Amino acid sequence: MTNSAVRMTGVVKRFPGVVANDGVNFEVLKGEVHALLGENGAGKSTLSNILTGLYRPDEGTIELNGSPVVFGSPKAALDAGIGMVHQHFRLVEPFTVAENVILGNPETPFVIDTGTTAERVAELARRYDMAVDPNAKIWQLSVGEQQRVEILKVLYRGAQVLILDEPTAVLTPIEAEALFRTLRAMTAEGRTVIFISHKLDEVMSVSDRITVLRGGRTVGTVNTRDTSTRELASMMVGRSVEFSRVVRQSPADPGNVVLSLTNVNCEDDRGRQALHEVTVTVGRGEIVGVAGVAGNGQRELAEVIAGMRSSTGGTITVSGNEVPNGRARAAIAGGVAHVPEDRLHTGLAAGHSVEDNMALKNYRTPLLSRFGLLKRNVITSQAGDLVSKYDVKTPDTATPVRLLSGGNVQKVLLAREFSTNPRVLIAASPTRGLDVGAIETVRGRLVEAADSGVGILLISEDLEEIMSLADRIVVMYEGRLVADIPASQATREQLGLLMGGAKMEVTR
Amino acid sequence: MKSPIRLERRLEQPRWLNWAIPLISLLGALVVGGLVLLATGKNPLDVYWRILDRGFLSERSITGTLRTATPLAFTGLCAAAAFRLGVINIGGEGQLYVGAVGAALVGLWMGGSAPVGITIIVMVVAGMVFGAMYASIVGVLRSQFNTNEIITSLMLNYIAGIILNYLIFNSRSYWRDPRSVGFPSGKPLEERTHWPTYELFGFSVAFGFLLAIAAAVVLWVIYKRSRLGFEIGIIADSPRAARYVGIRTKWTIVAVTAMSGALAGIGGASQVGDFAHYLDAKGLQLNNFGYTGIVVAALARLNPLGAILVAVLLGGLTNAGYSLQGPDFPSGLVGTLQGLILFTAVAGEILTKYRLRSNRAGTKAVAA
Amino acid sequence: MNSNIFIVIAASAIFYGTPLFFAALGGVFTERSGVLNLGVEGMMLIGGVTGAWASLHVGGSAWFTVVAAICIAMAAGAAVAALHAFLCVTLKANQTVAGLSITIFAGAVGLSSYFANIWKVAENPVTRQIRKLDVLGLADAPIVGPLLFNHTILTYASWVMCAVASWYLFRTKIGLQLRAVGESPQTADAMGISVVKYRYIHTMLGGALAGLGGAFYSLAIVPTWVDGMTKGAGWIAIALVIFGFWRPGLTLLGAYLFGALQSLGTVLKSRSYDIPGDVLDALPFVMTIVVLVLVSTRFAHKRIGAPAALGVPYEREER
Repeated sequence: MTNSAVRMTGVVKRFPGVVANDGVNFEVLKGEVHALLGENGAGKSTLSNILTGLYRPDEGTIELNGSPVVFGSPKAALDAGIGMVHQHFRLVEPFTVAENVILGNPETPFVIDTGTTAERVAELARRYDMAVDPNAKIWQLSVGEQQRVEILKVLYRGAQVLILDEPTAVLTPIEAEALFRTLRAMTAEGRTVIFISHKLDEVMSVSDRITVLRGGRTVGTVNTRDTSTRELASMMVGRSVEFSRVVRQSPADPGNVVLSLTNVNCEDDRGRQALHEVTVTVGRGEIVGVAGVAGNGQRELAEVIAGMRSSTGGTITVSGNEVPNGRARAAIAGGVAHVPEDRLHTGLAAGHSVEDNMALKNYRTPLLSRFGLLKRNVITSQAGDLVSKYDVKTPDTATPVRLLSGGNVQKVLLAREFSTNPRVLIAASPTRGLDVGAIETVRGRLVEAADSGVGILLISEDLEEIMSLADRIVVMYEGRLVADIPASQATREQLGLLMGGAKMEVTR
Repeated sequence: MKSPIRLERRLEQPRWLNWAIPLISLLGALVVGGLVLLATGKNPLDVYWRILDRGFLSERSITGTLRTATPLAFTGLCAAAAFRLGVINIGGEGQLYVGAVGAALVGLWMGGSAPVGITIIVMVVAGMVFGAMYASIVGVLRSQFNTNEIITSLMLNYIAGIILNYLIFNSRSYWRDPRSVGFPSGKPLEERTHWPTYELFGFSVAFGFLLAIAAAVVLWVIYKRSRLGFEIGIIADSPRAARYVGIRTKWTIVAVTAMSGALAGIGGASQVGDFAHYLDAKGLQLNNFGYTGIVVAALARLNPLGAILVAVLLGGLTNAGYSLQGPDFPSGLVGTLQGLILFTAVAGEILTKYRLRSNRAGTKAVAA
Repeated sequence: MNSNIFIVIAASAIFYGTPLFFAALGGVFTERSGVLNLGVEGMMLIGGVTGAWASLHVGGSAWFTVVAAICIAMAAGAAVAALHAFLCVTLKANQTVAGLSITIFAGAVGLSSYFANIWKVAENPVTRQIRKLDVLGLADAPIVGPLLFNHTILTYASWVMCAVASWYLFRTKIGLQLRAVGESPQTADAMGISVVKYRYIHTMLGGALAGLGGAFYSLAIVPTWVDGMTKGAGWIAIALVIFGFWRPGLTLLGAYLFGALQSLGTVLKSRSYDIPGDVLDALPFVMTIVVLVLVSTRFAHKRIGAPAALGVPYEREER
C-alpha cells in the first residue's frame, strides 16, 4: 500500500511494573485525520512518544511511507517529517513566538535575522488561518495561541505527519472549532494528522478514521462514518456505558448554607488578578459544579477557600463563621476539606508513607501527638483503619504514596479528607487521570458524602462529570462566575458557550 | 554505541544503601586520591598507611582524633540539620567562630566567680545563642526575601573571620589579652571555666564530645519522632503539600537555620572551653571545621548519629594530617582527600535514584 | 590630575574587577545552560596555581610564557569544570552539593594547595607577570589615560569578550539554543538540541574563564601564589551573575563595582585615611548580601531572567 503514511506493527513498550504498549498495530493513511482513541492509561501517549523518537520500543517495527525506520531521538523523527504537538506545551516562555518556531531548525542561519524570521513565521500562520503575533513573548499568549505556536513549530520544520496529543483539553469550544479548520487545511495539502483524544464527540466530528486502544492493545480501526459514539464508547471501555444523573439518597438543602463566598478577589502567582468578585454559596448536602476551561481561576478559587492563598477582598464563611484569610490551618479547623487538582504533590507528600499522609491533617491533635512528639503507633493504626475502610491497595502503610497507582493515591487522599469530618469539600478534578473503576469509586464517595450532609464544590473540566453529579452548575470564565444554573436545566451546548465567554443572564 | 551499563530508575530505596553508599564513596575517594598521589609521584599505600597509623593506631592517636572530631561533629550536625530541610547552610564555619566569641565572652566575664557547673552551662548556652543568632540572618533572609542562603551564609563566614581578626589583632577588645603587645592573642580564661575531660577506655574524651553525642541523639529524636521533624520532612518533600496543610514554612526555615547555627555555636564554645581556653582567632580559622562539617554531613547521609561516626573518621584523617605535615606529606593533601570524599558521596547518591544494570542482561530479559 | 582619588579608585576598580568579571562571565555561560556552578572558587584557585607554575617553568620569551600560563590555567579550570559537569549532567547529582564538593576538593586547603606544595610554587615570586600596558603612549593622558590606556592585555580582552558574549547569547543560533537548554531542556530536547552537549561545553567554558580569573590573581594582582589567594572572589562572582541578571554587560558593571570595593582598602590606606581596615575588608561581603537581597525580592524573580531550569538536572524518560 503506497498510500500508507505511518505503519506501526507489534509495538511493545515496557516500563518498570507496567506494559504500556502490548503489541499495538496502527496504520495511518496519507492525507487523513486519524484519531487515536482511548482512556487515560490506554497507551496512547506511549505510542506517540515511540513514534516521535522519545521512547524506543522494546519490540515491533515502524514504517514511514512504506520503508522501515528506527528513531533514536526526537530530532531523528522530526527530520523524517514527524512532528508532535504535546499536551503540555514544549515552549520556551521568555522567547518570542518566532524564536520558538526556529529553535533547533538546522536551516536557521548562524546569525539570526529577527525581522526576516518573524515575517516567514507570520506568513506560515496566515496560510493555515492561525492568528498569532510572531514577536509576542510566549508568556503573554493565551493557551490557545500557545498551541498555535506549537503547530507552527512542526509545520516550519516541514512535518508531513502531525501528532496532536489531546489538543482540545485546554481550548474553549470556539478555539477548538478554529483548530479543526486548521487541521483540515493541512490535510487538504496532503499532510497527515494523528489526533489523540478520549473525547468521543470531537473524534466523531474531526476524524476520517479512528483507532481505539485499550489497556495497551489495539481494539480496532474503524471508518468514522461507519461508526457511532455508542460503539466507540464500548470499544474504549470494553462494555457499553451510560451517562446519566446519579440518584441521591437524600436531597440537597441549598437553603442551609454551609459555604458562602461574597465578592472574593485574589491574585495568581504572577500577581495578576485571578478572581473577580466571586460570589457563590453551597448548601448542606449540595453539590455545586464549577465548569470552565482550565486556567480561568479555578485553582485560585480552590486555594482561596482552603486558605492556601490570601484573598485580596471579600469574605468566606463556613457554617456562618468567617474563615481567617489565607490560613490553611484555620480553614481545616473550620471544616474545609480539599482534594486538590495536583494530588501527588499538593494533597499528599509523595515521598512520604501512606500512614504519614493519612496523618497530614490531624498530626497536631492530641490523638496523634503529645508534648510535640508524635505517637507513631497511633498513626500506624489510624492508617490501617482507613486503608481497610477505603479499600486502598497498598503493600503496607509504610509504603510511599508515590508508588501507588493513581486510583489508590486518590483513595488515600479522600480517606484522609473524609476522616476529618468536614462540612465542606472542595474537589478539583477529582477523577482526572483515573481508570473507569476508580472513577466510579471516587464519584460514589462524593455522592455518599453529599448524602451525609457535606456541601461539595466540584471543580472540573469534565462536563459529563459535572452534569451527572452536580445539583447546581456555575461557570467560570476569566476569573468571574458567569452563570449559575440548576443542573436539571443545563445543556452541554449552553455550558460550552458560557465556558467560551458567551454572555448570558445570570439566572438565580 | 550502547554503553555496557545503563541506569534504571529505582522505585524503592533499600535500607542497605544507608551504609553501602558511604562505604562505596569512601573507597572511591581513596582510589581516586591514590591516582592523584601516583600521578604526583607518591606511593598511595604508604601515604594511606601512615594516615591510618597516625589517625587511629599509634599511641595517643585516638585522643587527638577525638579532639579533632569534636568540632567536626558539631559542624556536621549543623550541616545535617539544615540540609534535611533543603536549606543549604554552609555557614557552619562562621557560626562556629561566633559561638566561640560568645562562649569566651561569658567565660571571661564570669571568670572564677560562679560555680563551675553553672559557668559551663552558661558558656554552652552562650555559644548556642550566638551561633543561632548569626545563622538566623541567613534564615530570615531566605524565608522573607527568598535570598540564596548558600551565598549569604558563605559571605557571613568571611565576615565572621574578619570579626575574629578585629577582636584579637586589630583592636583593644575585651577578648584580647592586654599583656600581649608584640604578638596579640586572646585573654586566657580562668581555670575554673575549663571544661572537664574524662578518661574513657584509656582515651581522653572532652566534655564537648559527649555533648556532641547528646546533641546528635536530640536531633535524631527531633527528626524521627517530633512534630517539628514531621513538618520539616513534609516541607522538604513537597513545599506545596506543606502550604496545603498550613505548615508555617517560613517560621520553620528560620527555626531550623537557628538550630543549625546553635549546633555550630556549641562547637565554637567547645573550642574555647575544652581546648584553647581563650579566643584563638588564628587557630579557629586554620582548620576549616565548618567546611569539613559539610563533608561529614554528606557522608553520614544527613543522619545525626552517623555524623558522629563520620566525624571521628574524618577527625582521624585531619589529625593525621597535622602530625604528618612536612615535606613528605604536603599540606593540601588532607583537604584534597576530604573534597574527594564529598565528591564521591555526591556521586554515590545516584545509587539511591538508580540502579546499575548491565545492558546485556536487560536484552536477555526481553528475549526470554 | 590622574592622582585624583576617584580616578585612582576607578582605575583600580577595573584592575580588581577584571578577574571577577572573567569568573562571573563564565558563570553566565554555565548558568544559562541550566547548570549551577558553586565550584567557581575552586576552579579559580586551580587556575591560579597552574598559571603560577607555568609562569615559573615554561621557557621561551616572556610573552610566550605568559600566554602559555594563561592557556594552561584555562585548561585546568575547564578540566575541573568537566568533573562538575560529570556530576551534574551525567550523574544528575544535586548541583549545589556537587559545586561545594568541587570547591572543597580543589579549593584553598585542597588540591590547589597540594599542587602549590609539591611544585614549590609559593617559594618563588612569579617573575613573568601580566603587566599593565601603555597603549599608544597614552597611559599618562589626563583622566582617560589610567581609565582606558593603562591596563593589562587581559582587561582589554575582557572588554572584547563582553561584547562577543552578548552577541553570542542574544544574536546567534547557538546562543538561542543555549538559552533554550537553560530555560526548558524538555523543549530543547524535543527540538533535537543536545542538552548534555550544551551543558558540558558551557560548564567547561565557565571553568576555563574561572581559571583565567584565578591566573589573573597569581600573575597580575598579587603576583605570586598564596594558598587561598582568591579569598572568596569565586563566591562573589556567583553573586555577580545574579545581579548582572545573567547578561554580560551588566555583569561587567557589577564586577567593576566590586573591584572598587576590593581596591578601596588599599587605596585609602595608601592615602592614610583613618578608616579601620577590617570594615573595608568586610565591605565586599556585606555588599554581596545586600545586593543579593535586593534582587531576590518578589519583583525581581521571574522578570530578571534567571534561567528557569537552573539547578535542575534534566532527565528524559521521566515517568
